[in-house]
Amino acid sequence: MLSLRFAIPFTPTKTKPKPGLVVQSGWNQTDLLSSLPRRCESYKLQAATADLTDGRGASVVELPEGLSRELMPKHVAVIMDGNGRWARQKGLPASAGHEAGVKSLREMVELCGEWGIQVLTVFAFSTENWIRPKVEVDFLLSLFERALKTEMDSFRKSGIRISVIGDSSKLPASLLGLINEVEETTKNNTRLQLIVAVSYSGKYDVVQACRSIAERAKEGQIQLEDINESLIEQELETNCTDYPYPDLLIRTSGELRVSNFLLWQLAYTELFFAQELWPDFGKEEFVEALSSYQQRQRRYGGRHS
Amino acid sequence: MDFNKESQVSCSWYAQIENCLLQLLWHLIHVTIDLWYFPLGIADVLESYLISWGLLGRYKSFNVTKLRYLAIVVDSEEVFQTSKIIKLLQWLEAVGIKHVCLYDNEGVLKKSKNFILEKLDGTILFWDAHENDVLSDRQHMTLEFVSFSDGKEAVVKAANVLFMKYSKSGATDQNQKDEIFTESQMSNTLKTVGSGGPKPDLLLVYGPARCHLGFPAWRIPYTEIVHMGPLKSMNYGSLVKAIYKFTMVQPNYGK
Repeated sequence: MLSLRFAIPFTPTKTKPKPGLVVQSGWNQTDLLSSLPRRCESYKLQAATADLTDGRGASVVELPEGLSRELMPKHVAVIMDGNGRWARQKGLPASAGHEAGVKSLREMVELCGEWGIQVLTVFAFSTENWIRPKVEVDFLLSLFERALKTEMDSFRKSGIRISVIGDSSKLPASLLGLINEVEETTKNNTRLQLIVAVSYSGKYDVVQACRSIAERAKEGQIQLEDINESLIEQELETNCTDYPYPDLLIRTSGELRVSNFLLWQLAYTELFFAQELWPDFGKEEFVEALSSYQQRQRRYGGRHS
Repeated sequence: MDFNKESQVSCSWYAQIENCLLQLLWHLIHVTIDLWYFPLGIADVLESYLISWGLLGRYKSFNVTKLRYLAIVVDSEEVFQTSKIIKLLQWLEAVGIKHVCLYDNEGVLKKSKNFILEKLDGTILFWDAHENDVLSDRQHMTLEFVSFSDGKEAVVKAANVLFMKYSKSGATDQNQKDEIFTESQMSNTLKTVGSGGPKPDLLLVYGPARCHLGFPAWRIPYTEIVHMGPLKSMNYGSLVKAIYKFTMVQPNYGK
């Protein structure tokens, strides 16, 4: 459910925040019912939460009602499904759906950064998507390229680190160059790591890990007897983060599949299948997914007794 | 000065009254939404009971041939409820499901497989009925039992087989490496090490957490995953509803 915080400014000329939004620096909150007479005489308000910071130097925003910061997942993965259907429902071309999807992603990135989630992995384009019409594929890749160019400065300033995983062999050279630039530019950012899976599949990830290990074995870095689960995990493309296993996976549009995404990494991930199409997935829906996650008893395959 | 002070006080009173009214409105909206979802929840439970009693026509007989292979994941805390699991399998047989894979993380169901098979007339092990993972129509149900060791550990075993093949081939160039380490080679090698098995169309999770608890991931890239809640609360109506919903799905597999 949405949080309700209303602020009373110092001066009569105020603007009201929208319900559900958390008020940040510049506004203070007051306890309305308990001390009104005293408030009239000297207008002292309680301190805002905005002067607190988390360990990464970012302002800590108060969470929506019902969510606990201590129980926030460290790594959230999202299958952003439904852009095409959204566009069809509105009588728009598929490209409009993908553009709307980018807006949803932008909002989710902001929320993750504000709420202390450390890693957000999004499934932007799978290996199976290559069979879509060329026009749509070219549009998607150009949209990704445009979004990276537009947001690069914003990522740098807001402390977001960008990583891209997937089979880069099919990507255009211009996009590859831009990806390298963005990754390099943002590599020292610590507020949030945004991992974008492009031309990715879970099976591809496992196979490329095996290829990497084979190469290392050929070079004598490791012996074949040393190969175990841990070594494979180290070579998966999610080794770019300290938290490679998602705590929560959200898939939109009502489909109940993981569609070859992060297969190895999802063994104990809480799966949340949302009915909304991705362009319609906003703050309220995200809060619902996080609430559902925080209420679960997760035992990672073990038993209490 | 007095006028300014009075003006400030009255403005703050108006602001506070306005805030109170907005808060009341907000709580009203919340209550309305809760009142909307509560009967929906009741309707869901009622529907499950109506299905169990055979009172809803569309659930009484529907085509389950689309559901070729069903997997059941049971949480470690509930896996010892063998009578419940047998009842669940009897329900599945009644619905017409021919091939079922049972999974629990620690392999408790594997150890109980003889006991479970004894309780279900005519049911045999999947691998006793099939030489490969091509599904055949049978009169009675087949069962497969898997655990965590058939997942990641099996992939490691298969990877080791491929590594041996690569090192023995004396392969030196990229093309040869790319020919050995492919998805199809991995799939074939998993069968060789005894962890092949068909890809389930539908996977039902019985337990408190909505996750598959390490079910062999290589087999479920496009599997529908449905969380059924705790095993102790299982009911026939919810099971039939989940299977019926699956038969209505039209996946597009990335297209």
